[in-house]
Amino acid sequence: MQTVLGIAIDGVAYGMILFIISVGLSVTLGLMRVVNLAHGAFAMVGGYLASFAAQSLGLPFEAAAAGAILLTVALALPLERLLYHRIYGSANELAQVLLTIGLTFVVVAGINYLFGPTLKRIPLPDYMEGVVNLGPKAIPTHRAFVIAVGIAAIAGLWWLLERTDFGVKLRAAVDDPAMAAALGIRTERLYAATFALGVGLAALGGILGAELLPLEPYYAIRYIVLFLAVVAVGGAGSVFGSAGAALALGIIDTAGKYLIPDFGEFFFYAAMILILFRWPNGFFQRRPA
Amino acid sequence: MTPRLTVRGLSKSFGGVAAASEIDLDLHAGDRCALIGPNGAGKTTFVNLVTGVLAPDQGRIELDGRDVTALSAQRRVRLGLVRTFQVARLFRSMTVREHLELALLERDDRTGSLFASIRRVPGLADEVAGLLDTLGLGPAADTTVATLAYGQQRLLEIALALALKPKILILDEPAAGVPHAESRRILDALDRLPADLAVLMIEHDMDLVFRFARRIVVLAQGRLLCSGTAREIAADPRVREVYLGSRTHAHRPP
Amino acid sequence: MNPHLRDAAGAALLAAAGLAAFWLFPEDLGLLTRIAATALYVLSLDLVLGYCGVATLGQAALFGTGAYAAGIAAVHLVAEPMVLLAVGGVAGGLMALATGALILHAHGLTLLMLTIAVTQIAHEVANKARWITGGSDGLSGIAPDPVLGLFRFDLYGRTSYLFALAVLVVGLLVAQRIVRSPFGLACRGVREDALRVAALGGSPRRTLIGMYTISGVFAGVAGALTAVSTGIVGLDSLSFSWSAEALVMLVLGGAGRLYGAIIGTLAFMAIHHILAATDPFHWMLFIGLFLMGVVLFAPGGISAAIERAAGRLRRAGARA
Repeated sequence: MQTVLGIAIDGVAYGMILFIISVGLSVTLGLMRVVNLAHGAFAMVGGYLASFAAQSLGLPFEAAAAGAILLTVALALPLERLLYHRIYGSANELAQVLLTIGLTFVVVAGINYLFGPTLKRIPLPDYMEGVVNLGPKAIPTHRAFVIAVGIAAIAGLWWLLERTDFGVKLRAAVDDPAMAAALGIRTERLYAATFALGVGLAALGGILGAELLPLEPYYAIRYIVLFLAVVAVGGAGSVFGSAGAALALGIIDTAGKYLIPDFGEFFFYAAMILILFRWPNGFFQRRPA
Repeated sequence: MTPRLTVRGLSKSFGGVAAASEIDLDLHAGDRCALIGPNGAGKTTFVNLVTGVLAPDQGRIELDGRDVTALSAQRRVRLGLVRTFQVARLFRSMTVREHLELALLERDDRTGSLFASIRRVPGLADEVAGLLDTLGLGPAADTTVATLAYGQQRLLEIALALALKPKILILDEPAAGVPHAESRRILDALDRLPADLAVLMIEHDMDLVFRFARRIVVLAQGRLLCSGTAREIAADPRVREVYLGSRTHAHRPP
Repeated sequence: MNPHLRDAAGAALLAAAGLAAFWLFPEDLGLLTRIAATALYVLSLDLVLGYCGVATLGQAALFGTGAYAAGIAAVHLVAEPMVLLAVGGVAGGLMALATGALILHAHGLTLLMLTIAVTQIAHEVANKARWITGGSDGLSGIAPDPVLGLFRFDLYGRTSYLFALAVLVVGLLVAQRIVRSPFGLACRGVREDALRVAALGGSPRRTLIGMYTISGVFAGVAGALTAVSTGIVGLDSLSFSWSAEALVMLVLGGAGRLYGAIIGTLAFMAIHHILAATDPFHWMLFIGLFLMGVVLFAPGGISAAIERAAGRLRRAGARA
């Protein structure tokens, strides 16, 4: 019987994973106006590469994770230039849905071909095993680590957006793309950099979240709805919106599954419908998704 | 006689900027009124407020004495308030004929019929033919808008507005962007608008304004500056001041 | 050529092709029946996506509602096939009307998510209500009466197929009629520019809800048809992937033309039948590449390619 704290910790950790993976999707939707249904595939690829590096190549966790993230980004960048580039803009919505679904299928088939259909694990380093004590309560270290990384990611993204040149240009381009281009902001480079950042974070999330979102070939299809829900509820283009939505949905979903297991997924979708009905542009309403 | 359109104290701000301040305006049947002013004066905002695309912060709008301030844009169209768009907004994959058919079907509330054939709707074909004739669009009737010359697109905008049998017509820069060779047709169409129609025209082209308008209203920085006949406006020093520096014919006699 | 004549010719061609298939592939009638029912389902999506411009991943909710309604009616109340189709159509239509009124004010990603959510909730409801839907085991024991009291549903699937084909042809004729009607014209207007339609005094929202409801009726009939001709209704008829498959089939065939829905269904299901005998992941690879190819090189799908080729032939003929 899970305690309230246990549910809260699990919910927040799950929410953090959803955030880390989905924030890239939110920003690319807000900036390049592209619905990337293949975003889950990037998270999956990151997880698989890390698993391969750690288990088959015997690399330590940190090296495996770093290598996997870099390699995933390296694979994604040419895709951005060659494929995604052609379908930016809200007029191409249907084309985006179809192209990215197609890409997802190809990646799923490819992963299955390379790694087989069984579940993949990523062996955690020693410092992530066990529990950490916060006063009288004990929290699994892995969960605490994930939450810490999540907080660091939120803080880091905030700093990036509010305090750096890159962030100013990114926010300008999200708010008014035509004006940003007219002001001389190199939108192509901005798009590529943003895409890379989003993919990198997705890969990180796929690696850290491998216990909560198990790595198997159908991962990309199974979980994309979750990531899209975070983006829709949080508002496209909003980092804080994604964080809020991910945490809310993570907690509601976890609580629902523990407290009323019979109706597991029902709460997630009902919550989503209610929120979207009241706020069609998401919590932190920016431009319509 | 009740004015067709009454606007009182219309105000709207965006952030701290007042796009419209306390605007009063009356339009009567048969009026030919032009709304002019420098860029950024708030002319398009005014049109959007009157037609219901934007909600005002303050003020009242009445059609034939009836308060419509809270009504949707669609309802106002049904009450006879019709506008054309500054940049032609048309259905690119539809033909000219289909545009007019749609306008007439919407006007007569016939768009609920699922199984009727458009050809067999009584009177439709004749009315479409009449409109095509009036605007000189006959030869282009079965061309899709995507391949239509821009001047003809503007004519179609006017035809659509007329199809709805408006009581008040707001023309947003009807000749904008049209090459001189084609604007003659538009001027002719404007001359032949129904006499009892109340017309408000937004325009920058002073030749067109002086030719068309019997009354001119000047807007600047969201406020109504002055209104009067062409001669009065041309002579008003405030108007000259507001236009100073921009391409202007305001000093020319009518 | 008079468009009404063209429509009738298209429907006649479909009927002829269907009958030819009946004689040419007597061993595959089960597959052909499923193709016919699915084509009607994809046609329902074309009405709302191709003609109204509404991108939805929730068509399965409408299909499944019709399927379950017909199935439950068949098991408990009445087994007359035409009545069952009507039950399915009404159920699908009501579902569409109720959900459409709630979600069609949204656009883009938000609307996609809402349609997905509706489907998932319907799926959960069907899953939980085991006592009436059979839950994850599905609803079985649907034994329809002879069609029109004359044609028994035989073991070889002959009646099933001809019944499904007939319903599809009639469905196509009705859809053609609707699309050419004043309502159809209004829908096309909303698809291109909803604001302009409002400026003509029309109500885009009412038009959208109207077409969504009609599409729900078509999808519901398709669901009922599937239930009647296969004898079972499974939870997968309310699944997200069933919605996605309809979208893929429609896009492959080409949206906005009605006949594209039928061509797309035929192509997709035929290829699936051939390839899925092998590893399902091969199928995913193939369909993924195909989708990407269509978007990048042949937007508008098979029907657009046919039209381009026909246009070139016509021009070549005129020059000769």
